[in-house]
Amino acid sequence: MEGSVRLDEVVMRFGDFTAIETTSLTIESGEFFSFLGPSGCGKTTLLNIVSGFLVPSQGQVHIGGEPMAGVPVNRRPTAMIFQNLALFPLMTVFENIEFGLEVRGVDKKARREVSERLLALVALEGSGPKRVTELSGGQKQRVAIARALAVEPRVLLLDEPLSALDLKLRQHMRAELKTIQRKTGITFIYITHDQGEALTMSDRVAVMSAGRIQQVADPMTLYRSPATGFVAAFVGETNRLEARLIDREGKRIRLDGGVLGELAGCAGEGVELGNGERVALYVRPEHLKPVSADAAGPRLEGDVEAVHFEGASVMLETRLSASGETLRVQLGHEVSRQYADSLTVGQRMTFGYDPADAVVLPDDRPVVDETTGEMVEERTVTGGAHVPSA
Amino acid sequence: MFRQLRARFGGPLAAAILTLLGIWLIVMVTLPQLQMIDYSLRPNLLPAQVGGPDDRLTLGNYATLFSNDIHRSIFLKTLWSSVLVTVLTLVVSYPLAWYLAKVATPRQAALCILLLIIPFWINEILRTYSWFIILSFRGPLNEVLMMTGLIDRPIRFLSGDGGVMVGMVYAYILFMVFPVYNAIESLDDNQVRAARDLGAGTVRTHRRIVIPHAKPGIATGCIMTFMLAAGSYAVPALLGSPGSRWFTQIIYNWFFEGGNWNQGAAYAFLLLVLCIGFMSLVMKLFKVGLGDIAK
Repeated sequence: MEGSVRLDEVVMRFGDFTAIETTSLTIESGEFFSFLGPSGCGKTTLLNIVSGFLVPSQGQVHIGGEPMAGVPVNRRPTAMIFQNLALFPLMTVFENIEFGLEVRGVDKKARREVSERLLALVALEGSGPKRVTELSGGQKQRVAIARALAVEPRVLLLDEPLSALDLKLRQHMRAELKTIQRKTGITFIYITHDQGEALTMSDRVAVMSAGRIQQVADPMTLYRSPATGFVAAFVGETNRLEARLIDREGKRIRLDGGVLGELAGCAGEGVELGNGERVALYVRPEHLKPVSADAAGPRLEGDVEAVHFEGASVMLETRLSASGETLRVQLGHEVSRQYADSLTVGQRMTFGYDPADAVVLPDDRPVVDETTGEMVEERTVTGGAHVPSA
Repeated sequence: MFRQLRARFGGPLAAAILTLLGIWLIVMVTLPQLQMIDYSLRPNLLPAQVGGPDDRLTLGNYATLFSNDIHRSIFLKTLWSSVLVTVLTLVVSYPLAWYLAKVATPRQAALCILLLIIPFWINEILRTYSWFIILSFRGPLNEVLMMTGLIDRPIRFLSGDGGVMVGMVYAYILFMVFPVYNAIESLDDNQVRAARDLGAGTVRTHRRIVIPHAKPGIATGCIMTFMLAAGSYAVPALLGSPGSRWFTQIIYNWFFEGGNWNQGAAYAFLLLVLCIGFMSLVMKLFKVGLGDIAK
């Protein structure tokens, strides 16, 4: 069954406010696709456009190659799992799961067979006659999944369904959702603001900000080669350092970090940069390692301001001696044991990194006059709005 | 209760409040009712005979209803018509309540509620009279229908039960709209969206999701409307024809025209029993308790 979803130059406006800027995107049949972004970025609006609850101001939605314009919610081959699940509290588990089949006129016996099978799939055998109000959070979650799957959707839409669960259960449900998706082969479109969920479950992730898709990529690419500063900062943790581009050799870029001295990194995905241009260098905390003060390659010297023990690793907050900026450094188990003596507040340390791990992107922040706080110059984002279509 | 009141208002004030409440309940409610029960169980006697040998307890006044064919049929007709009024009011109110609770913007809802309430600033008799004028043989409704060519001779709206039905639905609509509105309002929008998403059309969404949720509100509205309709006097008196007499009018006649309070009291109690019976039936049918209705 064809479950691809194609958005053709979709725009969504509410009055003067543009919730979704022109967006084109294709989600493949059978793909686990996530929209990741902070609240208010438009991801839920996009989901509502696919499900049919909202009609886009412009553009077209195709599901399985068929245009969806004029097709109402109850006739679309999609099923939604709501953030609050929206199980029917006055019905039993069976009745909830069978509701969509009842609507379609499936007879009672066949309905019961389907719901039994789905209860087995979500590991809730025997809970059918219970009222949904008697179930725990995780069980309700499973019933919601079974209810949505009962109508055999081509596309399953999930609107932050795990957000109400506690951490352990959430992690467990992630794995379970992924398994269910693989077993059923249905296209999953998953909405979340939790990067952990998006990265662990998805085949591809679209990172959204302010109604715009920033980057569409598989989780690893997203993490290793973010296409915009927003993606670099939103997905995982990162340190941002401003610099000027000296020259580039293939992917490798030499940078003038001003008071920080010479730095280096690699150009981000599909980013065009010119010599002398102002850029931002993103280095993740776990890519920084303590080195000796005279080591080769880029070096950053700072004073330890705080040491956070996080179990598997140690997070250092350091202040760069040269510029006063904060640099966060994450040391793995081995390294933190090796440097155990130095990990005290006030200690001066030098950190280095492999330039292959650091990403250089255009400096997409407006330049602010430090004395007045006013914006001096607004730079356009060069690589930002570029959305590769799959 | 005394302890809670004392904690809030102090001893003397709490005692005063409870005393007043007790006086009100006993003197204004309980005693008159007991008096009426007593009346209903005694024959109608001349003042001189009161306390005499004929003044004994009897169910004769109650039996009258069952032996008098006309009264019995009016009693049953009142029951049936009140049920009809209740159903009609529900049919009119439900879409309105749905619109107010889930479709209208807050502004529209506020305006709509205001428009619903404004007519109720006017006395019920006057409102009913305006319907009398609208529905009369040479009234504006007939004029409009004639002008648009829908009918070629005026209709006697007021000759049957039609006028009474219209008048009552109009008079009691708020008592139905507000409980139903409150009930629908508390429904999570996602419930409706989920039903739609699973393929349900409008009718099924209402039948399976909205109405079951709104059941306590619907039950409350039905009980209130039925009680008011069955106990209504002004509307049938003004809009009814001789053929559409209401049981309340019979009671009124016993008291004020027949001068037979004993008989009137018995009839009034039978009406009360009818109302309580209806209420219990509705609560049983809708599977709601008194607690749900009090909400």
